[in-house]
Amino acid sequence: MTSQNSQPILEDVSVIVAGQGGDGSLTVITMLADLFRNVGLNVYTERDVLSRIRGGHAAATMRAFTGDRHCIGSHIDLLVALDEEAVEKNAHQLNAESIVVFDDSSGPLPSGLLPEGIKLYAAPFNRIAMRTMRRELYKNSIAFGIVGRLLGLEDEAMHQTFIKRFERRGQIILDYNIEALELGLHLADEMGIKHGEGKYRIEQTEPEERILILGNESIAFGFMAAGGRFYTGYPITPSTEVLETLQKWLPRCGGVVRQTEDELAGINMAIGAALTGVRTMTATSGPGFSLMQEGVGHAGSGEVPLVVVDCQRSGPSTGMPTKPEQSDLNIMVFGGHGDYPRIVLTPGHPEDCFYLAFEATNLADKYQCPVFIAMDQALSQNIASVKPFNLDELEVKPGKRLTAEEVADLDTYKRYAFSEDGISAFAPPGTPGGMSLVTGNEHDEFGLVSTNPTNRVKMMDKRFHKIEEAKKELPKGRHFGDPDAPIGFIGIGMMYGVILDAMVQLEKQGFNTQYHQPRTIWPVLDDILEFINQCERVYVIDLNAQGQLAHILMHQGADASKIISICRYDGLPYRPGYLVNQIVEREEELNNDDKKEANAQ
Amino acid sequence: MTTPPSTKTFTPARPIWCAGCGDFAVQGVLEKSLNNMGIPPHKLMLLAGIGCSGTIQNNLKCYGYHALHGRVLPATIGAKLANPDLTVVAAGGDGDGFAIGAGHLVHTFKSNPSIMYIVMNNSNYGLTKGQASPTSPIGYHDNEESGLDSILLGLSFLSTTFLARGFSGNPQQLGQLMEAAIEHTESGKGFAFLEVLSPCVTYYDTHREWRARVYNVDEDESFDPTNRAAAFQKIIELKEQGHIPIGRIFRGEHPSLESIVVNKEEPLAAQQGISDFADHRKHYDQFIKAHLG
Repeated sequence: MTSQNSQPILEDVSVIVAGQGGDGSLTVITMLADLFRNVGLNVYTERDVLSRIRGGHAAATMRAFTGDRHCIGSHIDLLVALDEEAVEKNAHQLNAESIVVFDDSSGPLPSGLLPEGIKLYAAPFNRIAMRTMRRELYKNSIAFGIVGRLLGLEDEAMHQTFIKRFERRGQIILDYNIEALELGLHLADEMGIKHGEGKYRIEQTEPEERILILGNESIAFGFMAAGGRFYTGYPITPSTEVLETLQKWLPRCGGVVRQTEDELAGINMAIGAALTGVRTMTATSGPGFSLMQEGVGHAGSGEVPLVVVDCQRSGPSTGMPTKPEQSDLNIMVFGGHGDYPRIVLTPGHPEDCFYLAFEATNLADKYQCPVFIAMDQALSQNIASVKPFNLDELEVKPGKRLTAEEVADLDTYKRYAFSEDGISAFAPPGTPGGMSLVTGNEHDEFGLVSTNPTNRVKMMDKRFHKIEEAKKELPKGRHFGDPDAPIGFIGIGMMYGVILDAMVQLEKQGFNTQYHQPRTIWPVLDDILEFINQCERVYVIDLNAQGQLAHILMHQGADASKIISICRYDGLPYRPGYLVNQIVEREEELNNDDKKEANAQ
Repeated sequence: MTTPPSTKTFTPARPIWCAGCGDFAVQGVLEKSLNNMGIPPHKLMLLAGIGCSGTIQNNLKCYGYHALHGRVLPATIGAKLANPDLTVVAAGGDGDGFAIGAGHLVHTFKSNPSIMYIVMNNSNYGLTKGQASPTSPIGYHDNEESGLDSILLGLSFLSTTFLARGFSGNPQQLGQLMEAAIEHTESGKGFAFLEVLSPCVTYYDTHREWRARVYNVDEDESFDPTNRAAAFQKIIELKEQGHIPIGRIFRGEHPSLESIVVNKEEPLAAQQGISDFADHRKHYDQFIKAHLG
């Protein structure tokens, strides 16, 4: 323990584990996240995989830190490379202080692959696993021992996390993994990384309670906590965790979860359930959302309450199924045939996913229309440590329903009665006296099919009026930074954490910025437009090729002369440093243009 | 409880069907069967597809729903699973059920929810003026494909529990089949599939032809509707002889979907209110606990 004082206290560390799909990169990262959370740090993890179970380059990244951060950092402090390709692919993220743990089973790392001065720890994890355990599978658990030591984790804590992670998979698998961990710790001793002599020192604090949760799990839980009791879904990356989470939890509350034969059945089964008055949700990704278009329009016209989650991935068509994008904004806001009212919410962090899913479930019930939650692959599948959700702060608000007694008190019951706020109270099936018709055809107040032009206009206006009413209570955006700053940012979903991190770096470089994180993008709320007005220029960050978010805002009256659209669609997750460089470059260009203009005058 | 007489709700529509359409008989028999089986209007949810037959829900006092084309089965299953206390009936035509919605029929045979599905088969697309449908025979218009037999399809699933075919020209038998189907779903035995030969007088008037070709297995003492393989063989033989088998073709046993997926320890999904959500707080707390260190 002699070197302890020279070790820096771990305040912000990013670790990437990379190799081939099936090498267990994600397992290592998930266990590290658990360990760091347990010692009182916050964590954020990210996965980068291909749409296959084995093979192809795969990586998982974790950032552990003190304070509030909501994204992966700009550089990597520790690279765990399970093969040479992992070094090639990730060397650019390293700096002179970084360290690399490398599996040299297939030979030493060729010189020149790593920047100068980087400390390298090489050991043949694969060969040791094969030689000792006859299973390549355990190489990641061997590597874990070295990684844990380097990061300053306690051996005992590592053991505990292994038990937690593997015991549910049976004693044999647990025993093998513990054996592998011990091999790794022994190897660390041999390499001179003794207990407490790693690169970092962890300052043990009394940890605040934190849950580790994926965005998709938060969505599922928010829906459940808001009284959601019916869920349908068809497995599709990156939405599947919503289905899996609810399969596990919803039946305990009397809820029903159905994995359907396709997304057409998914949306229509959800509609059939919602007709009975139960709070209902379905989740999918772009291809499934495209299939659901007829159904969501039908729910809009038939005034069926429904929450639909779109975990966006790179499109169009099958696109890049495991890569993040925000390119379904147009279809969420404008999609479907005909005109129908809808609400589109945009959470920015796994914590926000919970609260907005809760809100979406309330809103759908109140306004009897589809409410979409726009996720993206990163937001859906990244894990964050968050404060346990405060259920006491939340209120399940019942929609306008009629009981048998209330129906009996009416002279006439009309399912689609015109009303001041556009919302018609309805009696769910089973209510004596409340018989009614629901249809996607244009209909009169009773639900009978009608093509009467006067009725048509009134019905259409009634449905859209609900959205005007909803505007008063839809989730407003969040503002960060100096309201007098000339430079503004607008970005949704996974961009939330990246923009916040970039703002800190930009400030250090002399750029004063502010950020508006919209949480509702349809209807477009006034707070977004006011934000744009208060900035000199606003960078709207779009994770798509056409600038969909920027166009939606301009379509709704945003001052186009102030908007600078930045589009990215290469499938890579943003890093704060990348955004900082983009902004600095553009700001310099603007500066040069100004100077040229001044000179010309 | 019955409808409070003081509250007016929608007045059932008059059918839009052509005079002589087989669907009139189906509606008449359905109303009578529901009445005989004691299903009150407020407990009945009638979901219909798109097509001439897909307007039947407008004509009855019930909770009616007009589904998207081909999607009546998933919607019906959703309603049944959310509230198994309801009598949930799907209705539609052969195009709706066997063409655009065929995938859902396959999965409904597979999953066995306690719903009744009435397919009014007129072997053409009547509402779009007579194009060939999945059940049209070779030679109808330019159709060169042999017609689909939904009963044979149903027999090929080991999970089917009730398969019957009626004929609008034989309303008495149709009534027996429908009451048996309602009894089947009301007692939670699973999916009651009832195809009804319902001729289209305007575009494909098969009334006389079908009357001549139907073969009533209910009157055949050698026919055993509980023997799946024998039933399958008999149907094939009858078809090869040019007959159209009608009657109770198969009944079997298999767990119903709702008996598997609905948690009987808790209030039904559609009947839960704020107080139930509060009762479930313990599960929410457990969820959070499971995600703590």
